Amino acid sequence: MKKKIPKTIGASRGTGRTMRVANWWMMIVIILSVPHMLKGYGSGGLIQREVSGKVTNEQGEGLPGVSIVVSGTTTGTSTVDDGTFKISVPGEHAVLVFSYVGYVDEEVEIGTRNIVNISLKLASALDEVVVVGFATQRKANVTGSVSVIGSRELESRPVTNVAQALQGLATGLEIGQSSYGGSLESAPTINIRGRNTIGQGSNGGPLILIDGAEGNPNHLSPNDIESISILKDAAASSIYGSRAPFGVILITTKRGTKGGPIITYNNSFRNSSPINFPETADSYRWALFINDASRNSGAPDFVGPERMQRIIDYMAGKSGVTNIPPDPGNPVRWAGGSSEGNDNHDWWTSVFRSSSPANEHTLSMRGGGNAMNYYLSGNVLNQTGMLRLGGDDLTRYNAVVNLESKIADWLTLGYNGKFSREDYDRPSDFEGRYMQYMSRTQPANPLYDPNGHLFDVTTDRLSIIAVGGRYNRIIDNSSNQFRLIADPLPGLTLQGRFYYNLGDRFARTVRLTTYAHDVEGNPYVAEPENYVSEYIERYDYISQDYFARYDKSIDKHGFQVMAGFQSEYNKFRNASATRHGMIIRENPTINVTTGQALDGSTIPPSVSGGENDWATMGYFGRINYSYDERYFVELNYRYDGTSRFRADKRWGSFPSFSAGWNIAGEEFWKAHIKNISQLKLRGSYGVLGNQNTSSIYPTYVTMPVNTANGGWIINNARPNTASAPGLVSAVLTWENIRAWNIGIDVEALRNRLAFTFDYFTRYTEDMVGPAPQLPKVLGTSVPTTNNTDMKSYGFEAEVSWNDRLSNGLGYRAKFMLSDARSVVLRYPNPTNNFWTYLAGQELGNIWGFTTIGIAKTQAEMDAHLATLPNGGQQYLGSDWSAGDIMFKDIDGDGRVDGGTGTMDNQGDYSVIGNSTPRFRFGFDLGADWKGLDLRMFFQGVMKRDYFNGGYNFWGSGPNVWWSTAYIPHLDYFRDDPDHPLGLNLDSYYPRPYFNGDYESSGRNKAAQTRYLQNAAYIRLKNVTAGYTLPQALTKKAKIERVRLFASGENLWTFTKISELFDPELLDQGFTGAVYPFSRVVSLGLNVTF
Amino acid sequence: MKTKHSYILLLLLACFGMTSCQKSFLDRKPISAVTPENYLTDEAHLAAYTIARYGPTNGWNIGDADTDNQAAIGYSTIFAPGEWRVSASGGWDFGSLYQCNYFLQTVLPRFHAGTITGNANNIRHHIGEIYFFRAEFYFNNLKSYGDFPIIRNVLPDNHQVLNEASQRAPRTEVARFILSDLDSAIMLMQNNSPDGQKNRLSRLVALQYKSRVALYEATFLKYFKGTAFVPNGEGWPGKQKDYHAQYNFPSGNIDGEIDFFLTEAMAAAKEVADNVPLVDNTHHFPQTPSDALNPYCEIFSSVDMSGFSEVLMWRKFDRNLNVTSYAGKSYQGGNMGVGLTRGMVESFLMANGLPIYATGSGYHGDEYLEDIPKDRDNRLQLFLKVPGQVKILYNNPVIVEEGIPDILASHEHQKYTTGYAHRKGLNLDDNQNFDGYSTQGEISFRAVESYLNYIEACYEKFGSLDGTANEYWKSIRRRGGVDEDFQKTIDATDLAKEAAGDWGVYSAGTMVDKTLFNIRRERRVELMGEGLRGMDLRRWRAMDQLINTPYHIEGFKLWGPMQHWYDAAQLTYNDGSASTVSDPARSAYLRPYERTTVSLVYNGYLWNMAHYLSPIAIEHFLITSINNDMSTSPLYQNPGWPMNAGVGPN
Repeated sequence: MKKKIPKTIGASRGTGRTMRVANWWMMIVIILSVPHMLKGYGSGGLIQREVSGKVTNEQGEGLPGVSIVVSGTTTGTSTVDDGTFKISVPGEHAVLVFSYVGYVDEEVEIGTRNIVNISLKLASALDEVVVVGFATQRKANVTGSVSVIGSRELESRPVTNVAQALQGLATGLEIGQSSYGGSLESAPTINIRGRNTIGQGSNGGPLILIDGAEGNPNHLSPNDIESISILKDAAASSIYGSRAPFGVILITTKRGTKGGPIITYNNSFRNSSPINFPETADSYRWALFINDASRNSGAPDFVGPERMQRIIDYMAGKSGVTNIPPDPGNPVRWAGGSSEGNDNHDWWTSVFRSSSPANEHTLSMRGGGNAMNYYLSGNVLNQTGMLRLGGDDLTRYNAVVNLESKIADWLTLGYNGKFSREDYDRPSDFEGRYMQYMSRTQPANPLYDPNGHLFDVTTDRLSIIAVGGRYNRIIDNSSNQFRLIADPLPGLTLQGRFYYNLGDRFARTVRLTTYAHDVEGNPYVAEPENYVSEYIERYDYISQDYFARYDKSIDKHGFQVMAGFQSEYNKFRNASATRHGMIIRENPTINVTTGQALDGSTIPPSVSGGENDWATMGYFGRINYSYDERYFVELNYRYDGTSRFRADKRWGSFPSFSAGWNIAGEEFWKAHIKNISQLKLRGSYGVLGNQNTSSIYPTYVTMPVNTANGGWIINNARPNTASAPGLVSAVLTWENIRAWNIGIDVEALRNRLAFTFDYFTRYTEDMVGPAPQLPKVLGTSVPTTNNTDMKSYGFEAEVSWNDRLSNGLGYRAKFMLSDARSVVLRYPNPTNNFWTYLAGQELGNIWGFTTIGIAKTQAEMDAHLATLPNGGQQYLGSDWSAGDIMFKDIDGDGRVDGGTGTMDNQGDYSVIGNSTPRFRFGFDLGADWKGLDLRMFFQGVMKRDYFNGGYNFWGSGPNVWWSTAYIPHLDYFRDDPDHPLGLNLDSYYPRPYFNGDYESSGRNKAAQTRYLQNAAYIRLKNVTAGYTLPQALTKKAKIERVRLFASGENLWTFTKISELFDPELLDQGFTGAVYPFSRVVSLGLNVTF
Repeated sequence: MKTKHSYILLLLLACFGMTSCQKSFLDRKPISAVTPENYLTDEAHLAAYTIARYGPTNGWNIGDADTDNQAAIGYSTIFAPGEWRVSASGGWDFGSLYQCNYFLQTVLPRFHAGTITGNANNIRHHIGEIYFFRAEFYFNNLKSYGDFPIIRNVLPDNHQVLNEASQRAPRTEVARFILSDLDSAIMLMQNNSPDGQKNRLSRLVALQYKSRVALYEATFLKYFKGTAFVPNGEGWPGKQKDYHAQYNFPSGNIDGEIDFFLTEAMAAAKEVADNVPLVDNTHHFPQTPSDALNPYCEIFSSVDMSGFSEVLMWRKFDRNLNVTSYAGKSYQGGNMGVGLTRGMVESFLMANGLPIYATGSGYHGDEYLEDIPKDRDNRLQLFLKVPGQVKILYNNPVIVEEGIPDILASHEHQKYTTGYAHRKGLNLDDNQNFDGYSTQGEISFRAVESYLNYIEACYEKFGSLDGTANEYWKSIRRRGGVDEDFQKTIDATDLAKEAAGDWGVYSAGTMVDKTLFNIRRERRVELMGEGLRGMDLRRWRAMDQLINTPYHIEGFKLWGPMQHWYDAAQLTYNDGSASTVSDPARSAYLRPYERTTVSLVYNGYLWNMAHYLSPIAIEHFLITSINNDMSTSPLYQNPGWPMNAGVGPN
């Protein structure tokens, strides 16, 4: 035990050192910026005079609605219909700034002129400045694969977090849903270009940098984002080395600008309503379905005649029939709800509400002078969740401060600070397994007993969320960046940045004693347990980077050379404590607990705490060369080390290369083809490493030791337990990623048409995979090693049209399409078993049988079985009858079977589909005219197959407890004309019965072609319509701009998938039972002063 | 310019400040985890490691479903030959063994070096526990697979080493290995477990387990002698492998082995039986709050079982500690739908020691449930549920009585599958009535098994009973409430009549002698519902007769006057899947699995020889073979099972 102490000191010494660096940096910033803050900024003279003129496009047509501002002031106007304007300017040195959506801004020094006529150029996407690793670049010069999302695309969206807003906005960017579905604690997953690893010991996602430091975009308000760059290929991301094998997302927040202050206030008021609930059958039809499934399984009716009669009577409103009878075994109590209940209600609508409100407010201020500029912003979001019982809600606060101060001509100091708080509250029992109960609780099981008390408030019941206590989680994040930028010589930039981010998470779970009520209405304890549980987590992130960059142009030659160093340190600590015996229900803190159970016996408190850390460090360099805006070359190199591997396996080098050729810059092209102004071919190749093993210390052996969790009570306490450690591989090291990318960028028709195409191939080599299958006598898991290869490949295409007519109507359309698929190239699978990964197999393959159809009669089934003389469908089960599936013998061996499950003997299995979402697309349409603006945004997937073998799809699962009856399930085979649900020979589903387990089962429910779902979809993700009031009107109220808008999310969906599922939430939640998505409609206001 | 230079200097300094310490910066070791070097060095570590190895109790709650004793709501497909098929994967799991071997490999050197801190007796006790668990792992696999690899150490993750270690040792070697581990456990453990409450293993438990294993192997070898199921028997699949070509039994021949195991079984059983008296029986199940508690009922149902001599080990439950069970609600209902069979109920003698069919037995018939226990063996009076008995007596505003058996229910809380249900384990407290929150204890080992093991081993070894066996048997019958003169029972036994309801009449398809049968009957009656019947039937080879002659699982006599207990309209039969009960034309007794023809055992339970052992899944042959040629695997399949996944026995 004593040995450990020096290690702990060593670790804290490390933190202490970085803390001192942080303090030191902060002092520099404060001391150096104060005098400049006091200086203020200059302004012009006092004499006012009038200037007029006309703004036209390149064809000489007048442009209406062009904004004209006197630089450094808030004075401004806009052009009228014919493009003319008038404005008062102070003195003689005024500069007018002309800006118009879709055109390049123009700054004009008017001198002594009284008339200013100018023509604006259509903006070219290639003139945009793009943020790339440790620099910015003109888009025209970029040779890697980079997508950009601007602030306008995030504007006015009634979303809860940034990730939701990003879906479909950039090619190659894949937004997935979490298992929480549409819940307020759900954060979508973000990925770039297909599968990264197979996730067996390592994982990988894009590196997300917010103003240069790793961060969670969901801790930002979309309003504070200036731009997002997505670095997709190895050449673009390799400057970040081992942290960025699967792409980088660079988020830049808004900065101060000269002039102002410009004060903006935005709000939106929203209403959400759930979409794609499965619709539950009423109790009578549920009972018929369950009884049929029981009978087909050879079991007696689950709902006996007496209970069935009560169900019928209760639904008919027969007087005197309560929704639950007293327990025949103990008549003072109500009977069990699942065995005797005869209520009739839909749990989904009992638990979830049909609409819930939310509102969001943002106030920001930006401006600046010669020495100092600033951006300040505050945002608050209040969102109520969908829970009717218990209720759930989320409040998020954001604040951003961006300051930049020029302390000398050649030296700039900056500070960027962000704070966010997320306060989330829900019933403590509304956790992962709740949706599982939800999907299988009978409609006949009551929510309230006949006296109106909540029925059966125990842990496994849905009603407990109303009274069982609350869970509250507060996540605070603050991130701080200090930077010093020096330009000591022309072309030379030195920059140092220091980041210190803090994340705190406090979660409190309160469990209250619940009371059920007997037949007389007397309460009795249903669940005696009551306790307060606190969980505290602290995350520290300290990072710094330093680099020098030198730019030089000689004639047509352009050079840029950069070199630098970066390090990161991550530390996580957590502690939790639980104590029973709450003294005062209203004060749920650990101090106000007794440590005793309801019956007075002592329950020992349970406590735990842990800590871990990891670090990386790297050196990087880049050389760019360009010639005459036609030829571009870029070289990157990074040398990286990580704490995850042992010293001899720790360091890796990662080079990349890319080049571009703008054919349209060539003389031969310019001479002949006028309409195409840009035609750039690009290509890149790079090598990257992935250090993101699932375990933070993957090469160390640890003992699984637990406190007070034993199942055998010894001396009236639960004992501590321990087990043998697993095996680890000490030679574990980097996964290597090699990626190719070729692309083309085109701009044509006066820059109105733009087209981009990329094709990529990425190899993930020496991936951490399941080590070879070894004989089971080993007795423990085989350690994972670097032994698997995978390839991902696909394309991205984007075409956009952007134009403004002379009548002022601006319109734009953008279509984005991307595809990525992955193939395993090497995987230890000596038996060629196709139920796991297999070399040469595409990921996502669905293996299944081929369906002939449902036999309508016994004779039809017998005739089918007669064609299978060597064993019929015995492999799947016996006793085949009318209403069962007839499977096809595709290998012609006279029986339907699964062979050995290997490629050598596939039996009658074949690949019937693939679950990888293919051809993701986004379709963005927009228009504006005289203050009116409209945007429609569609998003979807063109090809995806899906098979769900669980009870949520089939209705009947392994037994009655793992079954459900939604309306679509009632379309099952019935050959009895007297059946209460009617004859149904042309049914969708075969006859139901209980078999298998809850997520997969054989016989009729085996994976097969007939029930393969087409999960392609298109969703109208967002429609926003706005109206900006004429400035003439608002000016009088001293308001610069007022815009009213209405916006809606998830308004319309088209898909062919079973109505039981939402195409975006497949396999989320519990085998498809998931907190529903919502349709959101909002109204809001943007005001700029 | 001066300031300019100093700023640049500052920047450069900052760079160097950070880079100079890179070596230690990237050296990160687990901060808050326990490393193997520092663990298993103290008595408390050993206790924590061993307690994690305790699994659920020995099948007590499940009882003896899928035997001739009890029937669950659903039948087991092992009695529908062709339905039990070779799996593609699964089984053949060595996880628990790894846990034991890791412990022994780590702890024994430290133990011998004396570096483990703590109470020396307790340290020895915990090491003994691990030997017991390794023995338990091997016994479970001996029962499933027979021949099984013997592995004493943690193995490296090396394919060749593991392939060699996969060789299956002949079952006799496995059984002897189990006995040697149990001898270690017996040597190291204390007579009573250190917790003082018998919630942990003890020397007596190991002794009783040793007698169980030894008796199991002795009888298995005896009744399967010469078949493919025992080493060197006709068609023994192990013979295909070079490593078994020259196998010789340690004692020279199979009879020597049988004798060895019987001797070991008797010695171990005797030590337990001589040390542990049986608890008393008041012959009455309490029906009013003032009735005295009956220890013979309490040992199966009380919350604290530590005070009963006969309980060698039990598991404790506690609501406040969140360790609870489903037992209480289940016993206050229909025992999770697991009913007694007619054969089980008819196996009980009359209190006068005569079988029910014997002349002058005084049997009251089975027209009504209430008639059945009258004048019978007191164990049937205590443990058969009959309408009108009190079932909830304490902590409830009203006293709740047993009703007529709900044979029509489907919920396992209410279902009486056969109409007969046992009362072993019933706790009359309403606090046990909460589903999933029951806290009554669960027995793991009961000393009476040692008495029974001794009697059987003695008779199998000598063909007669010695004085000790005589005394043991009498004490069991005396306590059970039946005439202790077992010879009277033997003389009145008619094996042909017994065969109708008891598979234990047979071994290898022929009837055993009447004394041996009555020894087996005593075991069946005394251990009813305690989860050992399946093991006994297999070691006795008592299911061969089912290969050709189907056996019908029957319950109570529904189609006598008791049919009027139910609404006639609800007793439907011959109505396809809507039938609720079996056709009276098939039997006057309820046949729960013969309700509809959908049932795979509609025409009765059948058997296949291969079913005595489990098949090994195909993946294990593939993993251990060269180029997927399964004949190169060191493994061989069990008798009768094919080498194809998804296929039943030949």
